Amino acid sequence: MIRSEFRKVGTVRSPWLLLAAGPLIVVAGITGLIQSGGNVHDPAVQSRALAHVGLAALFTLLFGIMAVAGEYRQGTITDTFLSFPGRGRVITAKLATYGLVGAAAGLVSSAVAIAVTAAWWAAKGGSFHLTAGDTWLTLGGGVAANVAFAVIGVGVGALIRNFVAAVAAALAWIALVEGIVGQIAGPGLARWLPLPASEALGRTSISATSQLLPQWGGGLVLLGYAAAFAAAAVVTTLRRDVT
Amino acid sequence: MAEVEVRDLTKTFGRVTAVQGLSFTVPAGKVTGFLGPNGAGKTTTLRMMLGLVRPSAGEALIGGVPYRRLTRPRRCVGALLEATGFHPGRRARDHLRVLAAACDLPDRRVDEVLGQVDLASSAHRRVREFSLGMRQRLGLAAALLGDPQVLLLDEPANGLDPAGIAWLRGLLRGLADEGRTVVVASHVLSEVAQTADHVVIVNEGQLRFAGPLRELGETSGALESAFLNLTVVPR
Repeated sequence: MIRSEFRKVGTVRSPWLLLAAGPLIVVAGITGLIQSGGNVHDPAVQSRALAHVGLAALFTLLFGIMAVAGEYRQGTITDTFLSFPGRGRVITAKLATYGLVGAAAGLVSSAVAIAVTAAWWAAKGGSFHLTAGDTWLTLGGGVAANVAFAVIGVGVGALIRNFVAAVAAALAWIALVEGIVGQIAGPGLARWLPLPASEALGRTSISATSQLLPQWGGGLVLLGYAAAFAAAAVVTTLRRDVT
Repeated sequence: MAEVEVRDLTKTFGRVTAVQGLSFTVPAGKVTGFLGPNGAGKTTTLRMMLGLVRPSAGEALIGGVPYRRLTRPRRCVGALLEATGFHPGRRARDHLRVLAAACDLPDRRVDEVLGQVDLASSAHRRVREFSLGMRQRLGLAAALLGDPQVLLLDEPANGLDPAGIAWLRGLLRGLADEGRTVVVASHVLSEVAQTADHVVIVNEGQLRFAGPLRELGETSGALESAFLNLTVVPR
């Protein structure tokens, strides 16, 4: 079943374009950090550069959504359920497959981040050390965020089967809704929301939330969200008619 | 024998009753026409047979077992549904390779069915370049992939040119002669009259007739007049 899922990904171009956007955003983000005056002699800046790997998780989220909602859009979900009438297993296979692809995407983004950061550091006369500061914690958190968001994407795609609506809902949540909810809830509660949790995990800082959970706490919270979305995806998919 | 049996099948969508207390048996080794006007509940019934739509009541059995409990469904049942989709950017052969991986069949089998539906020369083209008739052939290839004993086909002649329709007729005949159960849902009566041995006629979700085609009369127009008698509601 997982082999069939990998063949689905491997035989069309759109997922690869989407996944290629992750490393591109890493390159652009690190370049932007340096151009805006990032100090290459500061180990903390090196970590901030590498933390762009966590940002690339936006694309694994869209990728996960595409894996399920895309199948409803193309109508290939009918064939998938004809092959595997046990639909819970279909969703489980997708969670596993796209979690793995998310991990691979995170690793590629990490390699790109190391290369680009090292190149900028060399160009600006700084000294780049893989052992400096919390390099490995930052990269590891970034990869974990890529996996978690791919899994959440599969869940969102299974819950909102309309592809365009699912992508719009995910982007609106990230860009707007979560900020508003966070303001209403206050910073003490806002840090439990998915985006601040992923920031804590990937050691990024994109929103204005100042009080983040510790990295491991962010990881656990995100794991909880991923599990909740995965469970909801399985339960709703079992019951619905495919017409 | 892989008979298809429908027992007291009912499906309601909200307030609309799409299928109501439908019972019939489809014999193996014959081509069975599944007929009814638009909206009669044919597609919903096929989808219930395939475990895609959950019946409100009753059951549909394939060789005595509901579709969802078949251990290797694609090896038992091949289906062609109108809404069965293709990713437009996927090549025809890759579409079938995805399905082959799903039922543990080798790529060699993919090439066999591509040849069987006469698509071998277009196997490496992306589906977006395909005409409706070619998509229909690709859908038939997918249905045949697992060499199933039961075929459930919804409007299989849709989009085929006259030569394609003649080819399809021969294909269905051959499959039934091998002892398989072949169900063809359609509202093109002239086509069914030439192909089917057995017919099931539904209207408004209810059974109107199930039996050998010849019981409806021997003449070429007999099926049409019987169909209209059975399905047109007097106003």
